[in-house]
Amino acid sequence: MEVLLGITGKDFTLIAASKAAMRGATILKASDDKTRQLNKHTLVAFAGEAGDTIQFSEYIQANAQLYSMRNESDLSPSALAHYVRGELASSLRSRKPYNVNLLLGGVDPITHKPSLFWLDYLAALAPVPYAAHGYAQYYCLSILDKHHHPDMTLVQGIKVLEMCTDELKRRLPIDFKGMTVKAVTKDGVRDIEFNDDKVVKCA
Amino acid sequence: MDSLVARYSRPATLNRETFSEDLQDGLHDDMNPGLSLKFAMPPVAQPSAWLRAATDDHANPNCPIKIAHGTTTLAFRFQGGIIVATDSRATAGNWIASQTVKKVIEINSCLLGTMAGGAADCQYWLAWLGMQCRLHELRHKRRISVAAASKILANLVYQYKGMGLSMGTMCAGVTKEEGPALYYIDSDGTRLAGNLFCVGSGQTFAYGVLDAEYRYDLGADEALELGRRSILAATHRDAYSGGYINLYHVKEDGWVKHGFSDTNPIFWKTKLEKGEFTNVTSALD
Amino acid sequence: MSSPFSINGGACVAMVGKDCVAIACDLRLGLQALTVSNNFPKIFQYGDVFLGLTGLATDVSTVSDLFRYKVNMYRLREERNIAPSTFANLVSSSLYERRFGPYFVSPVVAGLDPKSGRPFICGFDSIGCIDFAKDFIVSGTASEQLFGMCESLWEPDLGPDDLFETISQALLSAVDRDALSGWGAHVYIVEKDKVTKRLLKGRQD
Repeated sequence: MEVLLGITGKDFTLIAASKAAMRGATILKASDDKTRQLNKHTLVAFAGEAGDTIQFSEYIQANAQLYSMRNESDLSPSALAHYVRGELASSLRSRKPYNVNLLLGGVDPITHKPSLFWLDYLAALAPVPYAAHGYAQYYCLSILDKHHHPDMTLVQGIKVLEMCTDELKRRLPIDFKGMTVKAVTKDGVRDIEFNDDKVVKCA
Repeated sequence: MDSLVARYSRPATLNRETFSEDLQDGLHDDMNPGLSLKFAMPPVAQPSAWLRAATDDHANPNCPIKIAHGTTTLAFRFQGGIIVATDSRATAGNWIASQTVKKVIEINSCLLGTMAGGAADCQYWLAWLGMQCRLHELRHKRRISVAAASKILANLVYQYKGMGLSMGTMCAGVTKEEGPALYYIDSDGTRLAGNLFCVGSGQTFAYGVLDAEYRYDLGADEALELGRRSILAATHRDAYSGGYINLYHVKEDGWVKHGFSDTNPIFWKTKLEKGEFTNVTSALD
Repeated sequence: MSSPFSINGGACVAMVGKDCVAIACDLRLGLQALTVSNNFPKIFQYGDVFLGLTGLATDVSTVSDLFRYKVNMYRLREERNIAPSTFANLVSSSLYERRFGPYFVSPVVAGLDPKSGRPFICGFDSIGCIDFAKDFIVSGTASEQLFGMCESLWEPDLGPDDLFETISQALLSAVDRDALSGWGAHVYIVEKDKVTKRLLKGRQD
């Protein structure tokens, strides 16, 4: 029941993740941040099995940062996505595979083109203009199919994101406690104020 | 077999027997014309378990009987009546068995039913419901209310609960007394009145588009377009929905059909003219 | 239903023509019923050789990356492009190396022999058994439908234009009867000194 959403626009990539950290029927924390910054222009959001998510994303975060330090230059989101896929794919055929679904988004440090990658725990990788994970896919992809445009501004992007979270509040049987929203632009990663208190009613 | 009959017999809401007392009778009952409620039962101890084993293609892909599944249907109430829209795909496993299924069943000139789940179950019982509605008209000299019609169906499917019936249906109609009325009935026995329902494997995709723009005071043309667009969204994302969009508008003086139109030209028109579906590539890069 | 070969869906077909070959694939990437991406090509070009991979998407990527690496190493060592028949044997032995933990893919190889210019196509099972064919090879979740289409449409010695028409109709009609493949297609027509790549706008439902 974790929610991950990603939207690319004209010059940004928006990544959003639900704030609830759930274990069984309990919400342990209502202000969880399910994202990690890999380098200046790249952010991942993750969901999946407890433990695996943090271990895997911090492992790739450490490696991405090590690369940046050694080479004094950042890998592009596309390069990182393929690196992450490789790590996840080799873990898949190991004794204990990581069970993590990821959205990896960012802007290219040279061309400033925004990009977003969808990765599941099987390490299937797809570059997409917008994406979601978990049950959110079933509700939000049709909304994004209708309302997404590749040259959207950040304000428009946040509006479409709100349409998605409204629908999830309306139809998901479990409260996901709002979303942490971050935007990646050519200037780096920025937290976005997002109204979590809006109440949405079923038609 | 008597114990079985006893176990599944419920206080009769309809003055009818649900199962034949004598199995042989049911098997060779070719004389009985039209809709019969005498069903032949498989000669095993647990017919429902046997049926489930034979038809559940999700648990067992090699099951001997594949029942057509997969659907998107929707209906919503608005100021001008009720919009009913469906796709037209029938799948058996991953095989697309048909792209031209009529999932809106015209129960009579004022009542529509939609079909999701087992195609045969829906077709049979909604046809049967049509008969009950006509009998009601003849007995009481006035049209049946949607509430009553939906209750007849709900009670019927509840009698068969646990026997493997699979249907998710909506009954839509407009009457003088009720105004536009919409009911959701499924084979678990659920019966709900409501403003807006989507049913089937593509329901969530349809809900996504529909919820975002639904208002009760929608104009008739807006409402029709919203219904069409919601089904289109579902056919695009759900592998088990597709084919043609079947659109109906139910008004007080009966329903009006608004076409059975191929999704393919509608999709490309929507993409190229409105700039939606930007994830679909239309040119090689 | 939850066989690794039919989680993501996809279809691929290769055909032999007169002094040309064609290979085509659909573009869907799905998660069971859900379509995740409409831009997931399953054909990879290595020099003069084309490899089509259907099956589990993660293995499609892994295997295509693996062969890109192997073919590049071959080119550096041999200072020439790999021939389709050589590549077919490389695919076969590489897949058999994973005999007890296979990649869940059904590869298809197509190309023209660099020396004789003769068309070459073949298919494989997931552990490397080669299926040589003189007419066509199909793979993926729509393979049954593709067999039917190819058996009825294919004829010997089709020119490049007729071959394009034939393979396109075969693929589009086949995927229209398969819930898990479709959503557009790529077609490659390979002639001597010329490769034409086309996008087919298939049904999007």
